[in-house]
Amino acid sequence: MTWLGALTLLLFVGVMVLTLLRKINMPVQTVLVITTLVILALGAAHRAVFDGLPAVLAMPNEAMGWIILHPITALLAGLFMAGALQISGGFEAFKVLIMALQRVPIIGLAGTLVILIQVPMIASLPCGRIIAAALLPLLFAFSAEGGMNVLTRTQMIVLIGAFSRNAFGSCGPSPIGGVGQIGEGFLGAHFDAAAAGMLRAPQAFALMLGTAVTALFLKFITQRLYPDDVTLRDRIADTEMAGRKVEPPKATLVGYASLVIFVFALLASVFELFGKLPVQTVLAGAAVLIVIISRAGIRDLMAGIILLPVAAMIAGFLAAGALAATGGFDALGVVLSALSKFPLLGVAGMLAIFVQIQTILPLSCSRILTAALVPVLYQFGPAGFNFITWDQLAIAMAAYIINATTSCGPSPLGGGGMMGEGQMRAESGYIKGAYVFTSMAVMAPLAALYMRFANLGLFRSQSEMFYPSASDMLQLALYAAVVVVATIVGTLFIGRKASISIASGQRWQRVGFLALGAFAGAVLSFSLYGLAGLEIMQGAVGGALAALVISLMVPSRLTPAPREAKS
Amino acid sequence: MASQKKDKPEHKRDRLQQPLVMPGIHRYQFFSDISDRPLTKNLNRAAMLAIGTALAVDALKPLIGGVPQTLYCYECRACYGTQDRCPVGIGLQAELTVSARVADYERFLRAGGLKCVRCGNCRSFCVVNLDLPRIYSTMQQRTIAAMQRGAIRRQAIQHAYDDGLVGRQFIDRVAQWLEQESG
Repeated sequence: MTWLGALTLLLFVGVMVLTLLRKINMPVQTVLVITTLVILALGAAHRAVFDGLPAVLAMPNEAMGWIILHPITALLAGLFMAGALQISGGFEAFKVLIMALQRVPIIGLAGTLVILIQVPMIASLPCGRIIAAALLPLLFAFSAEGGMNVLTRTQMIVLIGAFSRNAFGSCGPSPIGGVGQIGEGFLGAHFDAAAAGMLRAPQAFALMLGTAVTALFLKFITQRLYPDDVTLRDRIADTEMAGRKVEPPKATLVGYASLVIFVFALLASVFELFGKLPVQTVLAGAAVLIVIISRAGIRDLMAGIILLPVAAMIAGFLAAGALAATGGFDALGVVLSALSKFPLLGVAGMLAIFVQIQTILPLSCSRILTAALVPVLYQFGPAGFNFITWDQLAIAMAAYIINATTSCGPSPLGGGGMMGEGQMRAESGYIKGAYVFTSMAVMAPLAALYMRFANLGLFRSQSEMFYPSASDMLQLALYAAVVVVATIVGTLFIGRKASISIASGQRWQRVGFLALGAFAGAVLSFSLYGLAGLEIMQGAVGGALAALVISLMVPSRLTPAPREAKS
Repeated sequence: MASQKKDKPEHKRDRLQQPLVMPGIHRYQFFSDISDRPLTKNLNRAAMLAIGTALAVDALKPLIGGVPQTLYCYECRACYGTQDRCPVGIGLQAELTVSARVADYERFLRAGGLKCVRCGNCRSFCVVNLDLPRIYSTMQQRTIAAMQRGAIRRQAIQHAYDDGLVGRQFIDRVAQWLEQESG
């Protein structure tokens, strides 16, 4: 590790923490661009002295190599599609269908909403922003402001928050360019069929249950800790509505046609009906078709495009690129390896921290750190330091990847969750606590358990392959239930404390983070090492340390503190 | 009462001029609300200009460099699944694709780009079916050209040469260049 890498890593983390704590009072894009320039200047000075001019001139290219175009174009394609659906009346058609669906006795409104929340994972597109941008305005329609007046303020927060959670994790298990494929590629060095989707099922399993816990957290804790930070109106009571004439949603033929085109485009993307095509191409083509049939103008479409999240995302990429060019990520790898030398942590404790690292440092797209750190995790296995076996590497990878892919949700640097916050009229940071809590305490341990008990045998070589036995599945169900029940109990307990007072809720939230972080670390170590007391203890210590940092990054207030009255 | 009302800080949501976050939705957030930071207005504008420029350059570079397909790369790393099917043992194909997109020659060298024999075995792993052999071939030629005009650090080329990261097709030219450089 060079001193420059350590310095730039410290600078980046320091600036981000200060921005999150409101000590730096500037838009995040500005902060990131300035940080990038400072890091690049330090790097350039260092290279000018030690490596010469060509090395300095190569720096901009190195930094720009970290701009990942895919999530940017995915977001724009999603917004383009959302705009097209809005103009053509596709959303109105969707509303009519939803109204009809909720009248089906066996499904009802609750069933309809649950299906809607899980739609992103069902679609599993390579970037959650695509479907989120297209469907978030539809979810908003359930509110009083949105026109349908079906759900209360609390229900809207839970619906939008849980849907966003599901969307901004659905890029992980996607078979068409999902983030999880980064891990699968590396695991292919030992597991022959890893590229066929070794990490997909653990991610989907963890995300499905994690979404449910997120909904609980939003309902019982978030709303109580930030009572005035969502400006959604409550549902207008039926007694008030009695005198009013409520127009049921009506859809035109063009609206239905555009909806059919949208669904067909999604299916075509997922099942590759037109062969291997970038998903953005299919969606943009479908949006153009919708525009043609609805005779919309370009100006109408452009109204749907927003540049703010894109700008924040690019700024995040640039900062990551500057870090990479100056050895910041190498420094991070060295720090993590050094952690395993501490007796209290050991390899188990270090891995418990490692799998949570993207929740500790949430960037605008999970691909940034995943691309940088998956090779480091791979090096911990038999191909490098030999800290862990191939099977243990697969388990750690499963936990790491689900934690990573869900990290763009709570990112304040143009993360996907900001779209959800905007849709529910919330202050930035509103969903952060719920999202990081479930990634840390529910999803990572569940993915590890699933990999160990239900998935590992399926991806071995032909001669070693085996299917999970009934006993394995029973154990998985039992341990998964323990994890989920523990987090639900913790959530309800903190929620009760938060209902007494905000200060008490925040205190207990920290305690809850620590306790469940330690528990998650212990579960992870159990998945890796079985019933080994020392490793489980080390895992718990590592998990608690990670949880401590994560909890400190959760904002205690979202609006500026009231200024002292001038005397 | 009146004084209390006066002392109450104005909430951002009370202002109507807020950034648009979704069609028809305004948001009330700390990060994007620049109306209460007049001192940094020009700084913010400069930052946005820098971001826009970076994106434009990033999108134009591959077009000018003859590797437009790299724009479609998801950076999902599914191509890492190639593993043993790569006859020369390149393990990080996506690194080659990304470095080709931004013309990062050193990254291309480090990932073994000059070893690639363009067999196309990695192509079937790409989720968008990029023509990887063509991309890598173009980048190989550009890397050699950049080396000859002195745009790559000598140490980087020396490392690639010493670590066996230069294939048969280019080894003579690289060796000759290193010999010239050491004078």
